[in-house]
Amino acid sequence: MAAFDTFIGLEVHIHLLTKTKVFCDCAFEYGAPPNTHVCPVCLGYPGVLPTVNREALKFSYMVGEALHCTPSEKTFFERKNYFYPDMSKNYQITQFQEPVGLGGYFEFKTQGKTKKIRIHDIHLEEDAGKMIHDGNRSLVDYNRAGTSLLEIVTEPDLSSGEEAEDFLQAFRQMVQYMGVCDGNMEEGSLRCDANISINKKGKGLGTKVEIKNMNSSRNVRIAMRYEQRRQARAKKTGTKIVQETRLWDAENKKTQKMRTKEAAHDYRYFPEPDIPPFIPDEQFKEAVRAAMVELPAVRKERMKGEYGLQNDMVDFLTAEKSRADFYEKVIASGADKETSAKWMKGEFTKLLSREGLDISTTNMTPQRFSDLMKLLGDGTIHANIAKQILEIILEEDKDPSVIISERELMRPAADASGLENLIKEIIALEPAAIADIKEGNQKAIGFLMGKVMKETKGSFDPATVRAKLLELLGI
Amino acid sequence: MAIDTKWSEILNSSENKGAYIKEVQDLDDEIGAFLQFDPDLGAALTTGGSENSLKGLPFAVKDNIAVKDFNLTCGSKILETFSSPYSATAVKRLLEAGAIPVGKVNLDEFGMGSATTNSALRKTVNPWNPDRVPGGSSGGSAAAVAAGMVPFSLGSDTGGSVRQPANFCGVYGLKPTYGAVSRYGLVAYASSLECIGILSESVDMMERVYETIKGSDPKDQTSRDASGEIPDLHHETMTIGVLESTEGLDEEVAQAYEEAINQCKSLGWNILPVTIDSLNYVVPVYYTIAAAEASANLARYTGVRYGHRSAQSTDVQSMTRETREEGFGSEVKSRIILGTYVLRSGFQDQYYVRAQKIRTRIKMDLAEVYEKVDLLMMPVFPTQAFPATGDSLTPFQQKLADRYTITANLAGLPAMSVPTGVKNGLPVGVQFMAPEFCETHLFKAAKAYEAIYRPQRASKSLHLIQEVR
Ligand SMILES: [Zn+2]
Repeated sequence: MAAFDTFIGLEVHIHLLTKTKVFCDCAFEYGAPPNTHVCPVCLGYPGVLPTVNREALKFSYMVGEALHCTPSEKTFFERKNYFYPDMSKNYQITQFQEPVGLGGYFEFKTQGKTKKIRIHDIHLEEDAGKMIHDGNRSLVDYNRAGTSLLEIVTEPDLSSGEEAEDFLQAFRQMVQYMGVCDGNMEEGSLRCDANISINKKGKGLGTKVEIKNMNSSRNVRIAMRYEQRRQARAKKTGTKIVQETRLWDAENKKTQKMRTKEAAHDYRYFPEPDIPPFIPDEQFKEAVRAAMVELPAVRKERMKGEYGLQNDMVDFLTAEKSRADFYEKVIASGADKETSAKWMKGEFTKLLSREGLDISTTNMTPQRFSDLMKLLGDGTIHANIAKQILEIILEEDKDPSVIISERELMRPAADASGLENLIKEIIALEPAAIADIKEGNQKAIGFLMGKVMKETKGSFDPATVRAKLLELLGI
Repeated sequence: MAIDTKWSEILNSSENKGAYIKEVQDLDDEIGAFLQFDPDLGAALTTGGSENSLKGLPFAVKDNIAVKDFNLTCGSKILETFSSPYSATAVKRLLEAGAIPVGKVNLDEFGMGSATTNSALRKTVNPWNPDRVPGGSSGGSAAAVAAGMVPFSLGSDTGGSVRQPANFCGVYGLKPTYGAVSRYGLVAYASSLECIGILSESVDMMERVYETIKGSDPKDQTSRDASGEIPDLHHETMTIGVLESTEGLDEEVAQAYEEAINQCKSLGWNILPVTIDSLNYVVPVYYTIAAAEASANLARYTGVRYGHRSAQSTDVQSMTRETREEGFGSEVKSRIILGTYVLRSGFQDQYYVRAQKIRTRIKMDLAEVYEKVDLLMMPVFPTQAFPATGDSLTPFQQKLADRYTITANLAGLPAMSVPTGVKNGLPVGVQFMAPEFCETHLFKAAKAYEAIYRPQRASKSLHLIQEVR
């Protein structure tokens, strides 16, 4: 590969998390029964008109802002004409001459360095439905038809599959942070096509080949590597590289020429007469600014400095916005930075993944987590109890202090008199064991310890119990 | 008002209703205005209305405007079996006012034509003379009002499709400002040009219907409320701009135009001759834009989800091809082909983009004219209602003849055709054209003229309400 330069550009499509489709009032729900989220507008019935969703425009301008694009002061839609049964009007409403954002760049970490790639444009459009081929017939599901799609087109500034993968992951994290896309590649909420060309070092762009059908960032990486090798081999053997569209075959790990005939489409773009141009006013611009969040790269640096955390810990905490938000609220409520981070990464995450829960929607509020960490920190409870309380909160929706006082046997360590009384009772009930101990039988101490631990259901730290027991026995 | 009382009583009692239905059906066997006539279905849709509104009034709807549960054929074989699951916003507003849609009326297929002879489903004749066309494309809407079957109807005007048939049939026809009436539910032919319009037997009726259906609609983002104040008339007395030269008009039409100018003078209005140079370009500009938009608007008819589906297909490509081959008439096909041609990549600058530039120029020219005049008065069409057969106007001549009506569509301005008399047994009239959202000025002029000439009802018309005329 060393003899060649590689140029990779990506076309990333993200499904915007708008409440309704981009040009009608239907909702979108992944996996819903076919044709249950449809209406005359998204089915392209005679006489209906599209109405553009303001939230979709807002999300689009937010992404533009995050990518440092020049926002359009007067953006408009166009019709892209071609016949396909999954597209109800047989034209797609998209943008061409005046997209929501032009130019821009995105910085991300790859192989230990920061890479900056240029963005060509971002444009808002509608998605198509889905064709399902079933024997000798074809069925169409229009649930996805008309859902909001934002396409981000990069310049061919990436030079390897690894970079493409790192870019996608960083980009995905960013849109998730912004809450404009759930970033799920398996469900198709984030899709990616690529164009790739190679050329002798220093010779500039080569013949561009389009690659489609890569449904994970990992597939993008290996498809790009495959295509790099295929094109390099062609160069070396003097075979002409054809400008074409190739599909990634994930099973056989290779790209293949698209079988449908590649008649050059003339899409006959022209401005959509049903939707007036959109001119963002001050109020809209303010709403976009107000909705912007601290982006992952910036937040990572800030949190590292502010909380004195190690790289891998800060990577973990900032991987998802909801997690970073949770952590910062916990600390703001006064819990210890290091203990809280350790517990979030350890027990809490383990529990969440075991139960299949999302950190932002459980009974465990940052306040409760913070309280729990404080109780742990001042020795009121020990680690085992903290773990149990964690589980109980998820099930019962109660504050840690309430759980501690409600469960009688979970007497706090600080309640020494409670423990003392219990041990006295047990001593009174077990004269034989006391006799054994007096004779120097150490095993009997273990027996009494077990009794106390059982009675208190482990709510006291064993060292405390042992010390108290020995004290009362006068040993 | 007496007329309305009668009209509102027609569907009130079962006795009246029975007589009305019978007479309309008999009369329509000769005229052919309706594609579907079902007052009971319409009455079931009506949702309210106070006594002072349009309560109880029957109306007809051009069959390219959606009325829930009624057919929506667009005069085409491709939608012959299609019934609409929803109502157009304009229709909804009439239903809320208590008016009753009694049926769907004939048109040129998808609104493409000037004589209603391009309907694939029915022949409509002019109620004044069955050998003459009713005009088009809202021929059924005009014929139904002229024959006294309804006091008003909804039509659509893309390049004169309300005003020209209204003119041919001797009724009032309004094409509102672009965006004044929601297009939601109007089956699209040329989206940036067309409007839902009104055909009526009186100016008062016209005004009340317009007041009911106008106004912005969240379902149509090109719809608007009149922004700010409607400009006042320039002077106490109206100034009417008239064309300095009107070549190519038939003798009767030219005469009627001269007479109308004299009537305006008799009303005390100032007459100011004007020339609008860009009028020479309106026809090619109009057909370029209309065809381009039509080529995309009509792409949805492929038999995949609704409407006709060819039995001859073996795969999705042939299904699309054969369905469209069988379902569309030749005028529709020729406009789709023309539209596809002007939008080809590499040719857009030469055709589509250029047409849009000239369109902007036309708007500017007119804005200049309106600095001097309150209204423009123009002929509607160079001929009176022409014969349905024989060597009448060829499709090409019909297109050239649209030059007077097209201007209002290209500029998005309101225009209203007004009957001014009868010559050789056929109606003649003129149209007034106003600045944006100045419909009230149109009504004012038309009312003044109505005092001079009150339109007659056609020779073939409903006896039931003849006496109230
Ligand atoms: Zn929908």
